Amino acid sequence: MIHAQGLSKRFKSHQKAPGFKGAIQSFFDRQFETKTAIENFDLEVAPGEIIGLLGPNGAGKTTLMKMFTGIIVPSEGSLNVLGTVPHKRSRDFRKQIALVMGQKSQLWWDLPALDSFLLLQKYYEIDKKTFEHRLNELSELLNVTKLLRVHVRKLSLGERMKLELMSSLLHDPKIIFLDEPTIGLDLVAQKNIRDFLLNYHGETGVTLILTSHYMADIQALAKRVVLVLEGQKRFDDSLEAFAGILGGAKMVAFRFGSVVKRQDPFFEPFSPLWNAEGTRVELNIPEDRLRELGQQILRDYPVVDFHTENLPIERVMAQLLERPELL
Amino acid sequence: MGLAAGASALYGGRDLMIKRIKQYGSIYGAFVSTSFSEAMSFRAHFVLLIVMDLVFYGTHLWSIDILYDHIHLIGTWRREHLLFFASVMLAINQLTMTLVSENYWQFPLMIRTGNFDFHLVKPVSSIFLTFFRTIRPGSMFNMAFTAPAVVYFGLQVDLGFWAWIALPFGIVLGFLLQNSLEMLFSCAMFWMIDGTGVNFIRIEFQQLARWPDFVYPSMLRGALTYLVPVLLIGSAPVRFLLAPSDFWPILGLVVFLLFFWALLGFFWRMGLLAYESASS
Amino acid sequence: MKVYLAKWGATMAVTWSNLLVYRVNFILQSIAPLFVFLLVKLSLWYRIYEGQPGLIGGYSFGQMAAYHLWVMITGLLVFNGNSQRISEDIRLGRITSYLIYPFSLWEFHGAGFLARTLLQTGIAIFTIFAALALLGGRLESPSFGPFVLGLLLAILGGVFWFWINYWVGLVAFWLEETWTLMVMLQIVTYFLSGAIIPLELYPEWLRTILLYSPFPYIAYGPAQLMMGNLEGVGRAFLVLGFWALVASWFAQWVWRRGLRLYTAAGI
Repeated sequence: MIHAQGLSKRFKSHQKAPGFKGAIQSFFDRQFETKTAIENFDLEVAPGEIIGLLGPNGAGKTTLMKMFTGIIVPSEGSLNVLGTVPHKRSRDFRKQIALVMGQKSQLWWDLPALDSFLLLQKYYEIDKKTFEHRLNELSELLNVTKLLRVHVRKLSLGERMKLELMSSLLHDPKIIFLDEPTIGLDLVAQKNIRDFLLNYHGETGVTLILTSHYMADIQALAKRVVLVLEGQKRFDDSLEAFAGILGGAKMVAFRFGSVVKRQDPFFEPFSPLWNAEGTRVELNIPEDRLRELGQQILRDYPVVDFHTENLPIERVMAQLLERPELL
Repeated sequence: MGLAAGASALYGGRDLMIKRIKQYGSIYGAFVSTSFSEAMSFRAHFVLLIVMDLVFYGTHLWSIDILYDHIHLIGTWRREHLLFFASVMLAINQLTMTLVSENYWQFPLMIRTGNFDFHLVKPVSSIFLTFFRTIRPGSMFNMAFTAPAVVYFGLQVDLGFWAWIALPFGIVLGFLLQNSLEMLFSCAMFWMIDGTGVNFIRIEFQQLARWPDFVYPSMLRGALTYLVPVLLIGSAPVRFLLAPSDFWPILGLVVFLLFFWALLGFFWRMGLLAYESASS
Repeated sequence: MKVYLAKWGATMAVTWSNLLVYRVNFILQSIAPLFVFLLVKLSLWYRIYEGQPGLIGGYSFGQMAAYHLWVMITGLLVFNGNSQRISEDIRLGRITSYLIYPFSLWEFHGAGFLARTLLQTGIAIFTIFAALALLGGRLESPSFGPFVLGLLLAILGGVFWFWINYWVGLVAFWLEETWTLMVMLQIVTYFLSGAIIPLELYPEWLRTILLYSPFPYIAYGPAQLMMGNLEGVGRAFLVLGFWALVASWFAQWVWRRGLRLYTAAGI
């Protein structure tokens, strides 16, 4: 589906000192700077995979997506998606992909979504019967039948996002690129989108490439995780392997009956996460020391309650960002 | 065998072409209807757009009329000649306003916000999506002003039978040249952070084209005829209509059109290569 | 007071930065139109005088050319409004911050206007010297007194235009798009201010009416003064001053009405 080898992308931008003097200076003598967004990136994606691209803001995830969809041209390296070079933008290629961007809208703002869909029907040359069939099917799945005739500007963000998603599925794409599809949505709406995507993937076996800030999205959807840091690939394996990067650690939460000193050096090695009062702490504890340490804490501290769970992927991510040398 | 294959490829090609033309036709139909329903939901703006153009048309013709109260000729043209020229330019302007103008303003915004990305992933020509997506239905009504004006002043300059037949084609050719040029300018927006400046060049060139070519001193006239041929937009058809023996400019116009279409394809591709897409 | 002026200063600095970031745009938007305007006018009048030597409406070709040059200089000083920004502030809900800031919306845009005017004044002065140097003796150098009066009238015209812009910008409280209104006003202003043709050529009845309107004094008036013609200078300042006051009062009134609507909608 996707073969990328040694992919790089550099951008040029200009800089300016503040104030009037800076403005005049940059008017006559402009300083440019080259920024590397993606560097020497390799990726192989098989049909039917769901891949989560992880990374902080500005890591290069969106740049990758734009190269995969043929929107921008790589500076270096080879890239092949669905058997063609994306930026050649062959008609067939464009008919088989879909792009959903949580921050942007392809629906006409001042019209009902149905108008936009009818336009898309013509763009993608979908015959009437197929179109109507998919329209009904998708609007039932997404539960938006009643929203099709409402002006887009009057919809809530969650409703709009569903229609946005629907608009990019009408032509039955083989690959769907989702850039922050749940951004800004409330928890229920986020879950709706996730459930739908999982369901849709189960039924069609479509390939999904997904970026998100919400680890819950990744955790629910992605079977495979690719971590991007400063334009480079730093990790590429299953979700389980990602969760296990820190060595099979467990998250243990303790609640104390009285305030415990948060500077206590005892907790330091376990990346403690305290509440404001100092009556609750979450620790990352390696599996093999769980028994020993648990007993020690129960004995030495005023524990009233505790529970254990697998390390949430959010904490893995947070720790990796703090200490990238763990990779 | 080879012949048969060739023929079938040819017919296949023709079928494909017909299919494409049908597809683009139906897309354009949808553009018209969506633009219409969109425009109707902003009634005040809809009306103001019409009035704005009419105010411009009125003051432009009136200025010329006032001028001729004090003079007899500009170059060799009397009042009715210049008014005929002006009304042809207004008719071209009205077509542009209706069919394309809005898109020139949306294009830099789409580039700056990154919404242009969506055009690029659609299996439809991105030039088509960029320049023909929005029409201004309101401006269509202004034909009720420009068409009678052209006819009225056409009668005053005594157009012959064939000139009347050629008149609509002349206007369409002027319209095509103006917009091919302006689309070509718009390609520069790919390289600019804020492309709205390009729109101001377009408008400046429109200003220059609003007067007949003989008004300008020879150097400037040459540059604006052979280099950036904005003077051909109106002067070529009008000169031909007034005196059919004066056909060289309109021939030049057609040659420039073909040349610009090739150039537009080239610069558009270059632009797409340079397009960086606004970050998220 | 000092703190207050610092706010204006800082706002002006930001405006300058914004104006100069997109250098091509700056030249294209604020200077090129006037140059092209001048170019078209000069070419046209040259052709006209070629076929009809002598005076037209009392102007020789030299005077006509000078008239259009001064109209252009005046244009640099007058047309510095920014109604689009004001409309955008309203449409995108940015004015909410000005309701909270200790610096109101009109002050913010006033500072922007001042910044643009200062920058344009620099360009105007440069243009005058360039024109005098290029044209040598063919352009009469302006006499000092009337010239300064002409500049002052142009600046007063700028103040008037600022409030008109502000008002049109505020119409965004009621209308989704305001640029059509602005363009329309600009077209009418060009026509009625004598920027296209000197007012002497207009029909008598129209001229009589126009003398009581602000329009002649934001192109024709300053240009006449810069050419050393002091006739009607008192009336010019009086009428334009009156209209500037009316415009500012009206803009403030519209602002209050709009704000009531805005806060009522609870945005």
